[in-house]
Amino acid sequence: MNNPLVQPDPGLFIWTVLTFLALFALLAKFAWKPLLEALDSRQQGIRKALDDAQAAKQELERLEQESAQIIRKARVEAEAIVTQSRADADRLREEMRQKAKAEAEGIIRNAERQIQLETSRALQQIRAEAVDLSVSIASKIIQRNISKEDNERLITDALKQVEGRAN
Amino acid sequence: MMLGQEHAQELGEHAAGAAEKFDAGKTIIHHVSNSPIDEPLLHLPKIAGIDLSVTKHVLMLWLIAVFVFLVVTFTVRKFLKQERPIPVGFMNALEALVEFIRDSIALPNFGKKWVNVYTPLLLTFFCFIFCANAIGLIPVFEVLGLLDHFVLHTGPDSFIKHLLEGGTTATSNFNVTAGLAVITFFAIIVAGSRAHGVVQHWINLVPHGLAWPLYILLIPIELMGMLVRPFALTMRLAANMTGGHIAILAILSFVFLFTEMFGRAIAGVGVGLAVSVPLATAISGLEIIVVLVQAYVFTLLSAVFIGMAIHVHH
Repeated sequence: MNNPLVQPDPGLFIWTVLTFLALFALLAKFAWKPLLEALDSRQQGIRKALDDAQAAKQELERLEQESAQIIRKARVEAEAIVTQSRADADRLREEMRQKAKAEAEGIIRNAERQIQLETSRALQQIRAEAVDLSVSIASKIIQRNISKEDNERLITDALKQVEGRAN
Repeated sequence: MMLGQEHAQELGEHAAGAAEKFDAGKTIIHHVSNSPIDEPLLHLPKIAGIDLSVTKHVLMLWLIAVFVFLVVTFTVRKFLKQERPIPVGFMNALEALVEFIRDSIALPNFGKKWVNVYTPLLLTFFCFIFCANAIGLIPVFEVLGLLDHFVLHTGPDSFIKHLLEGGTTATSNFNVTAGLAVITFFAIIVAGSRAHGVVQHWINLVPHGLAWPLYILLIPIELMGMLVRPFALTMRLAANMTGGHIAILAILSFVFLFTEMFGRAIAGVGVGLAVSVPLATAISGLEIIVVLVQAYVFTLLSAVFIGMAIHVHH
């Protein structure tokens, strides 16, 4: 065979096998194995990081829900407190008004009774005063002209007259 | 000085078409085949009748192996040395390649159990074949030749002159691709034996549970298939890598053929600028794809064959 394209060359064949095997052994030991391991471990690292992120997200969601619930509860409680205190205040105000009203009424009633008492006492005094006055006036006018019995009668009559007028 | 004259004379001969006619076929074959074994770069003794002398293609294999080893190891080591493994620069490309071969070639064929065991072999196949293919597209030795011709002026028997002999693409030599295919051939046997045991691997070659006369037919067929697979790998890669180069060289030969035909250099240069260079550029573009695809195909088929030995189904 003169054509060098199809010329068998066992030496080249052997060199190819040797060269390739040497390259394969060296690369496998120094490059491919460590690289494949690193890629695998990185893959696992990424998977773990994603899982962690997912877990963290879920935890955050849970916490958010919890805090929202707490806030909702607090709001409801605050509302209840406000309503309660408003009702308390209303009740208290009403009570105080009632009490004040009652007190005022009591004071007025006392005052009225006092006034009535004073009035009737004053009237009685005036009446007694008037009797004494009229007796003294009458006795001055009719001194010694009448007997003691007449005198008594006259006084009684006069009193009756006064009483009748006063009534 | 003498060499310069010689070369000028040679050019003159081509231009005038006088003494020695331009033989396109011979020139092309010379540019794609290995340097002659009887004039090697480095003489080594014969071992068991095999001449182990270092020819151009052996040198190319070594250069590529050293190149691949240094680039890959340096990149990977730099990547692994970091506290947090963040790929930067070239490591991104290498990682994409590694993950592509692992996830889309190795994993579907080998399965989860064996993927990390045989992925290094596939990665080495791909890197080695790809670089060996690709270096044929880069005119390293042509640049060296120009440098020698215009600057260094070495003698006709110098090492550089020997370096310029022969083609650059080692994978276009079927002896090289046969060597690679033999690796696949043995990898198939090793993978099958490791997965099923040595005996079971050979039993697995033929489907079981058939009538015995069928085995008389099947066993030779399967044994032939075992040999045909690496043979197909050998021929596919070598032929593909040779074909593109021959096409480019044939088109570039127009320059000299037309020069001879019209007896004027201007005719050759004109055809070269108008036809040869654009066409050769286009084919070189195509070759870039072929270089990638053939490296991929060799890797993929090796994976498929190894996978067939691991997961036996007929």
